[in-house]
Amino acid sequence: MLPANHFGEKKVKMSLFGTTSGFGTSGTSMFGSTTTDNHNPMKDIEVTSSPDDSIGCLSFSPPTLPGNFLIAGSWANDVRCWEVQDSGQTIPKAQQMHTGPVLDVCWSDDGSKVFTASCDKTAKMWDLSSNQAIQIAQHDAPVKTIHWIKAPNYSCVMTGSWDKTLKFWDTRSSNPMMVLQLPERCYCADVIYPMAVVATAERGLIVYQLENQPSEFRRIESPLKHQHRCVAIFKDKQNKPTGFALGSIEGRVAIHYINPPNPAKDNFTFKCHRSNGTNTSAPQDIYAVNGIAFHPVHGTLATVGSDGRFSFWDKDARTKLKTSEQLDQPISACCFNHNGNIFAYASSYDWSKGHEFYNPQKKNYIFLRNAAEELKPRNKK
Amino acid sequence: MAICQFFLQGRCRFGDRCWNEHPGARGAGGGRQPPQQQLSGASTNRNKGFGLSENPFASLSPEEQKDEKKLLEGIVKDMEVWESSGQWIFSVYSPVKKKPNISGFTDISPEELRLEYHNFLTSNNLQSYLNSVQHLINQWRNRVNELKSLNISTKVALLSDVKDGVNQAASAFGFGSSQAATFVSPGFPVNNSSSDNAQNFSFKTNSGFAAASSGSPAVLGSSPAFGAVASASSAISTSAPAFGFGKPEITSAASFSFKSPADSSFGSPGFSGLPTSLATGPVSASVPPAFGGGSSVAGFGSPGSHSHTAFSKPSNDTFGNSSISTSFSAPGSIVATDNVLFTPRDKLTVQELEQFQSKKFTLGKIPLKPPPLELLNI
Repeated sequence: MLPANHFGEKKVKMSLFGTTSGFGTSGTSMFGSTTTDNHNPMKDIEVTSSPDDSIGCLSFSPPTLPGNFLIAGSWANDVRCWEVQDSGQTIPKAQQMHTGPVLDVCWSDDGSKVFTASCDKTAKMWDLSSNQAIQIAQHDAPVKTIHWIKAPNYSCVMTGSWDKTLKFWDTRSSNPMMVLQLPERCYCADVIYPMAVVATAERGLIVYQLENQPSEFRRIESPLKHQHRCVAIFKDKQNKPTGFALGSIEGRVAIHYINPPNPAKDNFTFKCHRSNGTNTSAPQDIYAVNGIAFHPVHGTLATVGSDGRFSFWDKDARTKLKTSEQLDQPISACCFNHNGNIFAYASSYDWSKGHEFYNPQKKNYIFLRNAAEELKPRNKK
Repeated sequence: MAICQFFLQGRCRFGDRCWNEHPGARGAGGGRQPPQQQLSGASTNRNKGFGLSENPFASLSPEEQKDEKKLLEGIVKDMEVWESSGQWIFSVYSPVKKKPNISGFTDISPEELRLEYHNFLTSNNLQSYLNSVQHLINQWRNRVNELKSLNISTKVALLSDVKDGVNQAASAFGFGSSQAATFVSPGFPVNNSSSDNAQNFSFKTNSGFAAASSGSPAVLGSSPAFGAVASASSAISTSAPAFGFGKPEITSAASFSFKSPADSSFGSPGFSGLPTSLATGPVSASVPPAFGGGSSVAGFGSPGSHSHTAFSKPSNDTFGNSSISTSFSAPGSIVATDNVLFTPRDKLTVQELEQFQSKKFTLGKIPLKPPPLELLNI
């Protein structure tokens, strides 16, 4: 009864992997002597000194900073910063701690500050030049999302929490500028001025408009049938935010336009991160979509899932561009750098199978991949 | 044409096919239907909730019956897929996108579950976490089986769920951030009725409501689309009784009286093995997930005795009754089912507290302990 898979999955052939520029094919071992070690089947660059526990969030520096700096928050309560050089070399720069796992990180627009949100119910502002971090926000429950909003007439930090509130903070004051109630716990959010989207528990979905001051724009009935997990806003050709992609735990992403000319046709969902691909007769393994990121230049998107794969998609052509080999751990987070040349993804346990599969000894990785070529849009026929 | 007398009485069996005239029925898109047969419980608010193109179920034209059948089949199929796919089980579910959630499923994100684990690990109470999670898994499985087997009462409840009820996303009943602070467990276990949300707040002092007006203006002003509106606003104005059982949307079998919470269908002492130290400790400070309380390790596949976890594909046997008994053997000794009439509030798990505070119990989450005195509204 639902329009199912709109993506032309049948068109994707395995040979696609071989034809892409210069990247490895199957998951053969890369360390020669060992048996097949699948921790990096895509042979991407490994970030040095990766965090000791699961990585929950990744964020690259904005274009205002020369070079590329990567921030990662982990379940080891730390936030780490690396400089990523063009050669691919990663240099650990600095680290800050929270008193609880870090769930989200983001940069200020000028690249001077990093904001971090943690299970310790606070959010902090980390001044990179002085390497000092101060608390700027307080909630009654873990802070799940944090975003910097830069409007013509104001700037603030937006925090979404499991205490069902969305708070906006001027970093200089300990009282929030504004508090908006959410119908349920905040699970994920994204901001591209003047639009913000928040997805909550119980399939809640709210769009906010941020001009003048943040206010609720519309509540949307969820296009997905299961728990919301991640959301990312996309822009139109004029670089204005025009819709969002929403991922759920059920291996599915919904593409939703805010004001489409023809909602029934323009909005759609597609299946991803499932084990059997197009073979729908056998029972599939269905994995959660842990993160969605849009390429800043091409407008194509990447999804990462609990199955340990990442995929690139062209939502306009409604096709899949590429799916990676399977890593031996789920991919818990991903992001692009400001010009879309680098795709970073974190390989670490996301608790998708409960505590039994948690191995504290297992190493967590962050991989960097050249994304300039692979995310070029497919030419629409 | 003669005017159909039955239609005027609201009981014409032929509906659109009737040879007599049904005044006012033409052009109303079938809006006026005689409430009938099969779905005895599902009569009110027909025009809401089911939106789109289908007519509400009260009328029984063949098309509508087909839709209903398709819907139910879809649900059965979805349940089968859910079980076999290994996907995350602590998720809400709706049979058709854009429709409200079906009751009986809780939304817990992996991060929330993991945080619980870590919290209970540090307080050395992994066992109660294990128990709690096992309990949740059992609940899920029971609910899934219920939906797969679809007896009459489940069907009725389901259909009314889908029609009337409760899109949490649409309705917003938060009443100020201070409210959340006073709550041990803001998470809602059930997608049942938005009136639950409202009810949760009605026990706290009215300061919560005062805060609401200064809080986000958009929230209260916006009109939640579904029939739940009326019940919510009435909850605000009056302090409705804590345990009034509104319309039992869940299966008719769920007529639990809170006086004897031990009557829950689960029999096994899921949550009662709560060391008191825990209840006051990290539980209240911890994250919303509904199960709260107890130690943190999840019995995904029950502690140690099975190699398969809840998420693996193999048959239901893994979680058959045998596993339940083994996993509960240990907690059996810790069970401290109170002999007193009321449980002190701090001895309740987060989830139990929530259950007592909601308007009605969630099937599968009925606390096994008596409610705290403070929450009774006699």
